[in-house]
Amino acid sequence: MALPLSYNWRNLFVRKLSTSLTFSVVSIIVAVLSILLSFAAGINDSLRSTGNPANIIVLRTGATAESTSLIKPDEANRVLQAPGIAQDDKGRTLASQELCAQTTLPRKDGRGIANVCVRGVDEIAFTIHKEVRLIEGRLFNVGQMEVIVGKAAQERYKHLALGEIVPMGRSGDRAYKVVGVFEADGSAVESEIWGPRTSIMDSFRRTFLSSVIVQVKDAGLAREAIDYLQGPAVRLKAKSETEYYEDLTSKTREIVVLTSVLITLMGIGAVFAVANTMYAAVDSRRREIAMLRTIGFVRRSIITAFVLESLLICMSACVCGLIIAALVSSMISKQDFLSDTTWTVLAYDLKMTPWTIGTALALAAAVGVIGGLAPAVRASRTKVIEALRKA
Amino acid sequence: MSSADIEIKKLKKVYYKDKMEIPVLAGLDLSISAGEFVALMGPSGSGKSTLLHLIGGLDTATAGSVRVGESLLETMSEAQLTSWRSRHVGFIFQMYHLVPVLTAAQNVELPLLLFKMKSSERKERVKTALTIVGLGDRMDHRPNQLSGGQEQRVAIARAIVTDPDVILADEPTGDLDAKTSEEILNLLNLLNEEFGKTILMVTHDPKAAAHAKKTVHLEKGQLEREEFSNRQPMAAAR
Ligand SMILES: Nc1ncnc2c1ncn2[C@@H]1O[C@H](COP(=O)(O)OP(=O)(O)OP(=O)(O)O)[C@@H](O)[C@H]1O
Ligand SMILES: [Mg+2]
Repeated sequence: MALPLSYNWRNLFVRKLSTSLTFSVVSIIVAVLSILLSFAAGINDSLRSTGNPANIIVLRTGATAESTSLIKPDEANRVLQAPGIAQDDKGRTLASQELCAQTTLPRKDGRGIANVCVRGVDEIAFTIHKEVRLIEGRLFNVGQMEVIVGKAAQERYKHLALGEIVPMGRSGDRAYKVVGVFEADGSAVESEIWGPRTSIMDSFRRTFLSSVIVQVKDAGLAREAIDYLQGPAVRLKAKSETEYYEDLTSKTREIVVLTSVLITLMGIGAVFAVANTMYAAVDSRRREIAMLRTIGFVRRSIITAFVLESLLICMSACVCGLIIAALVSSMISKQDFLSDTTWTVLAYDLKMTPWTIGTALALAAAVGVIGGLAPAVRASRTKVIEALRKA
Repeated sequence: MSSADIEIKKLKKVYYKDKMEIPVLAGLDLSISAGEFVALMGPSGSGKSTLLHLIGGLDTATAGSVRVGESLLETMSEAQLTSWRSRHVGFIFQMYHLVPVLTAAQNVELPLLLFKMKSSERKERVKTALTIVGLGDRMDHRPNQLSGGQEQRVAIARAIVTDPDVILADEPTGDLDAKTSEEILNLLNLLNEEFGKTILMVTHDPKAAAHAKKTVHLEKGQLEREEFSNRQPMAAAR
């Protein structure tokens, strides 16, 4: 039988300074890791690849974002000539001409104002963007000064309650009425305001469109259509919607990669901190170890005891770090994330997923074992007779 | 209540330091019968602790033989010696070597953790051992809440809780005042007389040695002379 856990636990409190320093280092690392991973999970969630591979997003060549993309009406008409474009049962071509304008709205939390995307769309847009569903109110009427608002946008900005009047337009002097609320599988679109294209173009005095989204009959035909759109006949930039969303989520991947690099470096630091604390513990307890060996504890028991002690510091620090992360997450939840694609803000939550917690626990355990092993082996090799001699 | 005899033949121990030979024990012989209480005296550096460590299986001899009861130590591996120590030997040191973060009872319980034993039986044994050394009412005290003499009593309780065959004590009263030393030595006499334990005790103090039935002197790697004390058993003295 091994030494009781209380033996290890109480020993942690003997070397308070050293233990608490290591405890803090590990807690901070776990907290940073969890927050960054929650951040990534949150973004991933709102930029989830809900894209339909049969939908093709067309932008101006060279435009990296809808906001910098200008498509002339005659260019938009040429887009419709692309091969393989589908039609709905009423015989309408499945192509949605869209304008993405920006308006500023005050935040509900009082932290200033934010740029919000106002998307002008035709009725056909709802056939192409199947994920967009009304959950309250009704659809706007074409030709009216009416808008529907995304669920996330409504939660975060003022003036977007059902029935409220929201001032918009180039000079902010056009009064739109909120007539409906929509959701879109939690995607980025939920942070937008949608209205009738003609009214929006008029209010923002725009003659150009931002993008055209076309749907081909079958995802397999997308490649051919994209080649046509990017070729000499149209000369616009075309991407399938899945590709488009994937590019957006690459941001998440960057965060995850950055997190991994950062955490690896911090983890190495933590391993040294743990090793340092444990070496000090071993050195100050040489006689105690010698006594344990004398009364019959084998080397393995000594190794186990010290690795356990190291794990005990790291795992309790992990719990502390997770609590810090949870507090921070709840404080900055519903964080704004300036999308570099639309230059408008997307709403997302920091999500503490089980995966995040699992990763944090694994990291702490790894730091505990790696940092504790060498000191534990040193402890087990204590020269019993020398250690037992008078000081 | 078990006890064993000790038989040492031509025991040699040589330390090597920077390729220099340091002969400590030069082929000594010693027999201690079961239930005997022997004091080991000698100048500092004469090898008393070394001899004790060899008998306790903490160190291995350069040559010669050590038999404790049925066990021939020179034939055993380090792992075997470790397990043998836990069953057959109780050690008592000058520095007590108690674990400061554990209570008296938990310190005494440590050697029992190596055995398959119900927790209730362990507790029972711990209580018995602490009662024998007169600390039945100090079970939950930490070492820093105890006096030196009490700490040594806890160490003695830890040494006897497994009911070992022999007790090896290295200057058990070296750090204690005369009165406390006397109490500790009386306790060793009790273990020897009432429980029949074989005891080998290293000491520098002739008064301490007088508690033993026999004193052997170690000098220049050999046992020089043996003296028998005229001490009356405690029971008879009462
Ligand atoms: N590991 C070692 N390497 C070299 N020499 C050693 C080693 N251990 C002990 N010695 C030497 O062996 C001799 C005997 O040491 P030991 O500790 O047995 O003496 P002792 O009789 O117990 O002395 P004291 O009364 O001071 O406790 C000493 O000269 C010591 O320096
Ligand atoms: Mg000595």
